[in-house]
Amino acid sequence: MKRILFLSLLCSPLLAADPVEADFYKITTFATPKETAMEVGSIDLMPDGKLALGTRRGEIWIVSGAGSNDAASVSYKLFASGLHEVLGIAYNPKDKNLYATTRYEITRLKDTDNDGRADVFENVNDSWGVSGDYHEYAIGSRFDKAGDLWVTLCLTGSFSSAVPFRGWALRIKPDGTMVPTCSGIRSPGGIGFDADGAAYYSDNQGPWHGACTLQHLVPGSFQGHPGGNMWYDLAPNMGPRPIDPVPEAFQGDQGRKDKREGGDPDRMVTERERIKQLLPPAVYLVHGKIGNSASAIICDLSAGKFGPFSKQLFVADQSHSNLSRVYLETVNGIKQGVVIPFRSGFASGIIGGRMDEEGRVFVGGSDRGWGARGGKPFCFEKCEWTGKTPFEVHEMHAKPDGFEVTFTQPVDAASASDLKSYSMREFTYAYREQYGGEEIAEVLPKITAATVAADGKSVRLTISPITKGHIHELHLDGVRSAEKLPLLHKVGYYTLNEMPVK
Amino acid sequence: MTRLLFAFLLAAAAARAAEPAVFTLKTMTAQMKYDTAELLAQPGQAVKITFENGDDLPHNLVFCQPGTDTAAMAMKQMEKPEEALKRNWLPDDPRVWVHSKMLNPHEKEVLSFSAPEKAGSYPYVCTFPGHALTMRGVLKVAPVGDILHDLKFALYLGSWKQLPDFSKLKPHREGKIEDNLIQVKLDDYKNEFGVVFTGTLIAPKKGSYRFFLSSDDGSRILIDGKEILAYDGIHPSGDIKEQGLMLEQGEHEFRLEYFQGGGEIELYVAWKGADTQITPLSKWLHPQWQGGTKKQKEFDPIPLAVTEEAVVYRNFIQGAGNRGIGVGYPGGVNIAWSAESMNLALIWRGAFMDAAKHWNSRGGGHEKPLGYDVLQPTGEVTPAFFVSDKPEAEWPKWDKTKRYEGFHWLGYSLDAKRSPTFRYTWQGAEVEESFAVEGDGNKPDGKAKLIRTVKVTGKLPDNAWYRIGSGLFESKDGSFLGKGPLPYRIIAEGAQFAGRNLVIPAKAGKMTITYQWAQ
Repeated sequence: MKRILFLSLLCSPLLAADPVEADFYKITTFATPKETAMEVGSIDLMPDGKLALGTRRGEIWIVSGAGSNDAASVSYKLFASGLHEVLGIAYNPKDKNLYATTRYEITRLKDTDNDGRADVFENVNDSWGVSGDYHEYAIGSRFDKAGDLWVTLCLTGSFSSAVPFRGWALRIKPDGTMVPTCSGIRSPGGIGFDADGAAYYSDNQGPWHGACTLQHLVPGSFQGHPGGNMWYDLAPNMGPRPIDPVPEAFQGDQGRKDKREGGDPDRMVTERERIKQLLPPAVYLVHGKIGNSASAIICDLSAGKFGPFSKQLFVADQSHSNLSRVYLETVNGIKQGVVIPFRSGFASGIIGGRMDEEGRVFVGGSDRGWGARGGKPFCFEKCEWTGKTPFEVHEMHAKPDGFEVTFTQPVDAASASDLKSYSMREFTYAYREQYGGEEIAEVLPKITAATVAADGKSVRLTISPITKGHIHELHLDGVRSAEKLPLLHKVGYYTLNEMPVK
Repeated sequence: MTRLLFAFLLAAAAARAAEPAVFTLKTMTAQMKYDTAELLAQPGQAVKITFENGDDLPHNLVFCQPGTDTAAMAMKQMEKPEEALKRNWLPDDPRVWVHSKMLNPHEKEVLSFSAPEKAGSYPYVCTFPGHALTMRGVLKVAPVGDILHDLKFALYLGSWKQLPDFSKLKPHREGKIEDNLIQVKLDDYKNEFGVVFTGTLIAPKKGSYRFFLSSDDGSRILIDGKEILAYDGIHPSGDIKEQGLMLEQGEHEFRLEYFQGGGEIELYVAWKGADTQITPLSKWLHPQWQGGTKKQKEFDPIPLAVTEEAVVYRNFIQGAGNRGIGVGYPGGVNIAWSAESMNLALIWRGAFMDAAKHWNSRGGGHEKPLGYDVLQPTGEVTPAFFVSDKPEAEWPKWDKTKRYEGFHWLGYSLDAKRSPTFRYTWQGAEVEESFAVEGDGNKPDGKAKLIRTVKVTGKLPDNAWYRIGSGLFESKDGSFLGKGPLPYRIIAEGAQFAGRNLVIPAKAGKMTITYQWAQ
């Protein structure tokens, strides 16, 4: 069927003042079939420019024409229905079938009579438990380079695991066997791969999580929430069960009102020394500032078609209806990096997302149960680069004495070498069992130098002190481009898990 | 929702002289719903309802006294279905005070009656079996017209411990509330937001009025710009605050401010005139509010319609465990299959499933079948296959923490009519099960049957049994009559009693089992 497409209104400021996000990245909102609530939970690419959308209502829709500039050419066909929440959809180019991750099963869907509707639903793997609790979502990946599917399993509620492998990441091999892969998961919102094929998932603020996080799924690792660790008994490949983290990070007032001088002795840094399998979040998606409900993870593999952020990750947020951008680096073998706001203003809470080879980001979601800034109950949208390069922080690299910040465009040397153009704040979250948490153990370092590189594309900042384990919140309010424009986003949050040697 | 707005009346006596309240109430096709969930009339007012049945099933319209549990009343008839059928499914119940006849598909009837003298909420319902859960509404009899008019909201985002000065804040979003009822599920924000409601309150006459307020978290009511009642701060909606106020007849500026910090989101507002009952102005009703009918279901129903093809619904179905697969077949017979026990869990007739519980909010909980006459032939989530040298032995019971050993779920395929064939292995043998419907389950006298075909390929262990029923049965005319509260028949070649089990010796090959309600 043909559907009218609504271009989102790109509000330009009345006065030609500072650039806005919409100047660089435009959002297109597609009309969706009236007979359903297109609560997109997952998206994958199919041949011939088609997309597969899996929804919270258990439907799978095949979308044609969503990549077209003629947005009116978008059309939808219902491929399957009646599944138990499709929060993972994966197209397998080898057997040309779709695989759906649902509440308790990965299902292979075949259309044997080629009528455009699935008629065979095969259980690929259903080896994890389901207790009937609403919280036990299963978020599935697309296929990785080895042909495996990854599934992250939400705990039963926030604290515990009633049935096997709730709170785990599993891999399903091409032959359907399951490999327990990581423990310590709380409430996953999305799963994706970086440009090298490494897997990541997003977790949500709650017990053991002061904020939402982007976490690196290193096989064998413990991701931080001990609620599901009793299932090590069923996962001999994972080695011995990790020792439990100390539930109460602070020893003072549990209400967190009193200040504890000298910081928190049991936060992530010190627990990592005790618990060898514990992997810290690659990036804290700072609560209330980056988002409140992290979801899809999208890697830019378009080689420039989505703008200057090739190979970077984009993390969606259901509550804030936005995308944030993450640049990661590996320091002492551990992933860490910076998160920077990227694009807000999506119509509903984003849950699923996928970029095609042409650099079009397709996203969709719903606000059901948790609410979203977008205001619409559900949406399916496209975000594209307009071709204009925003003046942005491009990358941020940790150094033993500070950071190197690179930019998408040359900076104005006068403003970028002025120490007053910058400010920094360091803080962390208590790693503790209690739900959520404040930004604590604040440090206000001095920025002692800002040296602009000869090509004007980077600035070397030295700061004192620099604090291992802390989130380094860098504001660049005064930095101007060579064209005297301010940064589109003037803040970045760098999670310093490891101190680089050089 | 059809709402009749009527002229404003100065005195109760004049109400009797009011124009009749005229409504058209229709049934919705294949949805088990009326198109109108609320009717309004004044005490003693003449009411004329044109009731049109556009659906393909029979429906009636039965008005009951306030407080009647209409679903229970309609369901009670199934205890003596033969007698109920003679009354054309009209309950023999003193709480019924006016009703239509049972309309066949595409019939209509005009009902004329006087609204009760006593103000209150009078539920109406379709008493055809299986319809009452979703097919219902309320006739509200109240001596006044609409209370709030032109209700608007402005939504603000922010983190507060007390109500902020909203006049200094910029709203995040504004809009109209079409049904003029205070409600905070406007945007589905969970935490840290505020809402200001504004509208016009119409006092039907000069006099003393009482306002009621409760909320989680803080709220306050302003009438004509003056705060009359406040329940500020962070708290659960524990108490209902109240405050009396003298009002002139006519329009008053109404303003309600509310904010949410975290946790529950609740807001209850009501008012009462000197000679009227407590009337809610909010959608949410405080558990301790005095008056009205029983609380409505949390969500509007989303019945899944079954027409030409079978409909599959995989979700949490009450009685089918956590890996339940619902199938609604054309012909008004439905099943829930369990991919946990690899067995038929439930059979029922009439409407299929209501998805509202799972497709609203976070979607938690198990939903029960929407239709009626639910059979659970062998208990909850227990397998059909079992090896024992004593077929009267107790069959395995569901242990929620474990999977049944020896079973492996393979999935299902759909035929041209989208009917599934379920596939699994047991002890290495391959098993296929499919189902066919005969008769019409939407009609109690429709002789509906479910025919189950089981094909086993491969070798089964010795002493393998396939259980098709549990409980007490009586062998009668070549069938087995289940003696439970809801009698039904099982017909299967080779079936035999073994204690409280009705079993078939399990071998490779085909088994055919027919289930039929015994009315």
